[in-house]
Amino acid sequence: MLIPRRPPGLVLIVCAVAVACLAAAPPEISPALTGLQAPAPAQRALPLTLPNKDDALKFGVMGDFGTGKTEQYQLGDQMARVRSQFPFELMITVGDNIYGGSKPADFVKKFETPYKALLSAGVKFYASLGNHDSRQQSAYALFNMDGKTYYTFKAPKQDVRFFALESSYLDPTQLQWLERELQSSREDWKIPYFHHPLYSSGDRHGSDLPKRKALEPLFQKYGVTVVFAGHDHVYERVMPQQGITYFVVGSSGQLRKGNIDKGTGFTAYANATEQAFLAVEVSGDQMYFNAVSRSGKVIDAGVIERRKQ
Amino acid sequence: MTTSRRIAVLLGLAPALCVMSLLAAGLTQDDKPRVNADAALSVEFLKGVQAYVALHKKLEATLPPRPEHATPAEIEAHEQALARLIIQARSGAKQGDLLPQKVRAYLRRQIGGVLRGPDGAIIRQSIMEDNPGKVRLRCNARYPEGLPITTMPAPILGALPKLPDHVEYRFVGDRLVLLDIHSQLVMDYMTDALPL
Repeated sequence: MLIPRRPPGLVLIVCAVAVACLAAAPPEISPALTGLQAPAPAQRALPLTLPNKDDALKFGVMGDFGTGKTEQYQLGDQMARVRSQFPFELMITVGDNIYGGSKPADFVKKFETPYKALLSAGVKFYASLGNHDSRQQSAYALFNMDGKTYYTFKAPKQDVRFFALESSYLDPTQLQWLERELQSSREDWKIPYFHHPLYSSGDRHGSDLPKRKALEPLFQKYGVTVVFAGHDHVYERVMPQQGITYFVVGSSGQLRKGNIDKGTGFTAYANATEQAFLAVEVSGDQMYFNAVSRSGKVIDAGVIERRKQ
Repeated sequence: MTTSRRIAVLLGLAPALCVMSLLAAGLTQDDKPRVNADAALSVEFLKGVQAYVALHKKLEATLPPRPEHATPAEIEAHEQALARLIIQARSGAKQGDLLPQKVRAYLRRQIGGVLRGPDGAIIRQSIMEDNPGKVRLRCNARYPEGLPITTMPAPILGALPKLPDHVEYRFVGDRLVLLDIHSQLVMDYMTDALPL
């Protein structure tokens, strides 16, 4: 599928400048590790480029992770390392939380153990569901979904509201609910997250055009700036599409190496060589992000200015 | 033009106007029965689904309530106990009970209408890309453990009758499944739901 390339615009220029400035001033080091042993560089500080302001909202984004394999555990360790330097208080998931069944043992092996350090530290997970997830996960206490397959919540800091959608089932009831919630939300930042990407250069799935048609007009109309999704097992940041930056973070466990279509024309940055998750900081009208890989590299970084209507 | 001539012209046009009115009325007559018939089928279908939901609720009320914020063990225990009760209560259930032939034909028409529309190709593509394909399904039995679920595009859901909470449509291959998401039971399914 060919989608016309759009100019990167101001946001990417701001990103590049911010990365350059922030890289010069690495944050304080406080390495701590839990769970499986991480590779040797674990003892060194991660080269994060986030401002790490006291009053900022700090959160993580991960997706397509629940495999129970070594790579998931290793990335879990990196998350704990990141948190020791950058104390994020919540983690949103973009689905495919538990692959291959939802027995109690699956929750232990594919969620509770790899993220034990985060859970013990009080990080709250707010899940959305993917096509491999039982709908019953919505009742799982540690996913904080309150029994709902789609829901919204206000972040504990900054002027931020999240919208977790059930993208495999966009029925009229959910779409009407979303419009109502977006319309009534008074927060500066309205952040939707869900499984199926509206824009993706993943070769396996790619952009979901019917969902784009259903959701993008609402995001446009109600001042959304950033959207997080997964499904394709890659990390990708899409060039702003009509002012909105789309991320694909389907890279946190089940990686599909090399699975990137270079011909879509909308990729700002993509990586399908290593598992990764996103560390994000919202402070005022800026959203800073670092994509951190399983080996502890910052593979993508930048800052996005809030879209004002 | 004189008044008498105007009257003559109008009188001359009158038969044509009458024919056009009759044709228009005829078209409306043709459409009306289909609309009414489809509405009746939708009501009939939902009546069956509501009866299922009532049974589900009645049986669920006999179980210890599942905590609002549950552990995986509590979720599994509740789901399995509920499934056992429903399977037992519907032991005679067979394919077509909730989706009789006329309802199936109606649902096929609704889905076909969307797939033949301007976005039909991308909607079909969206359905097929997560589709688990030819998997054995049984009515009043568990949806296969670990099997991914298909995406249900908004235009398809918009064209189908709205289901009560906790009941969903899903495609498996070319079958349309009615799924009870609390018990993970296949309530019923129909074949050939995705017309070529």
